Amino acid sequence: MKWATRTGCHVDRAACAWLIRRHHDPAAEFLFVDDPAEVPSDATPFDMRGVELGHHGGDCTFETMLRHFRVDDPVLWDLARLVHEADLADERYDAPEAPGLDVICRGLSMVRDDLAVLAVTAELFDGLYEYRRRALLLGRDPA
Amino acid sequence: MARVRWVFLAYRLPRDPSGPRVALWRKLRRLGAVQVLDGLVALPLDARTKEQLEWLAEEVGEAGGDCSIWLAEAATAAEERALAERMAAAIAEEYRSLLNEARAATTEPTAQRRRVLRRLRRELRSIRSRDFFPPPEAEQAGQAMDALAAGLEAVAS
Repeated sequence: MKWATRTGCHVDRAACAWLIRRHHDPAAEFLFVDDPAEVPSDATPFDMRGVELGHHGGDCTFETMLRHFRVDDPVLWDLARLVHEADLADERYDAPEAPGLDVICRGLSMVRDDLAVLAVTAELFDGLYEYRRRALLLGRDPA
Repeated sequence: MARVRWVFLAYRLPRDPSGPRVALWRKLRRLGAVQVLDGLVALPLDARTKEQLEWLAEEVGEAGGDCSIWLAEAATAAEERALAERMAAAIAEEYRSLLNEARAATTEPTAQRRRVLRRLRRELRSIRSRDFFPPPEAEQAGQAMDALAAGLEAVAS
């Protein structure tokens, strides 16, 4: 399937692309547009204004997507808190890692194009997922 | 000199319920947006500010309001300066209150000073994230934090 989002990928779009490939559509093909009107008719738009897979009720798109795909994996919901704070910094959640993740993603998008940003951040989210999975199992931060 | 490019959010929200209005106002404040007129707010344009106002526009729509987003620049240097100065004055006030708290904390016991430092550093980061035209108070606030931290180190050694 084709998936379309805005150019200049930041943390929320990067996390969504990772989620789509990992849990929903392993063969997902991503394209990037500057204006919602440029989304091809055969692509599903996400993290754009006026689309179903966007911010809703103060949630970021990653949270909307977890709900949309009916994901109940507690590790992904745990990661959603981090993505939410890195994207919105509205202090809804306590996520001390968020400012660091925000800066890492911003820096990456300064030196890489969108596809490369998605490739690098996919590795990053794999690692974060494993870290948070172990943390939830142990009930404390893993060594 | 090149003019600052701005992103404007023009909005109208129903008067009742007041919840969405208050929530929007809080979020705009956290972003550092300046109110130009009733229902018209502005931020200097960058990838982040434009996106953040776009999401707030979605919320206005979901709350049953009307809104639109515009990219613009002031027609005269004086108008641009007036807007920037209002933003700098508002943020300077935030830095000053932080500075006062930092100074007041220097006479507190060590444990209390450590707690205050942690909280003030978090607040300073938050203020900086919405500071687009840093006033002199920005640097003073940073120095006050360093002084507070240095005082604690001296106690520890």
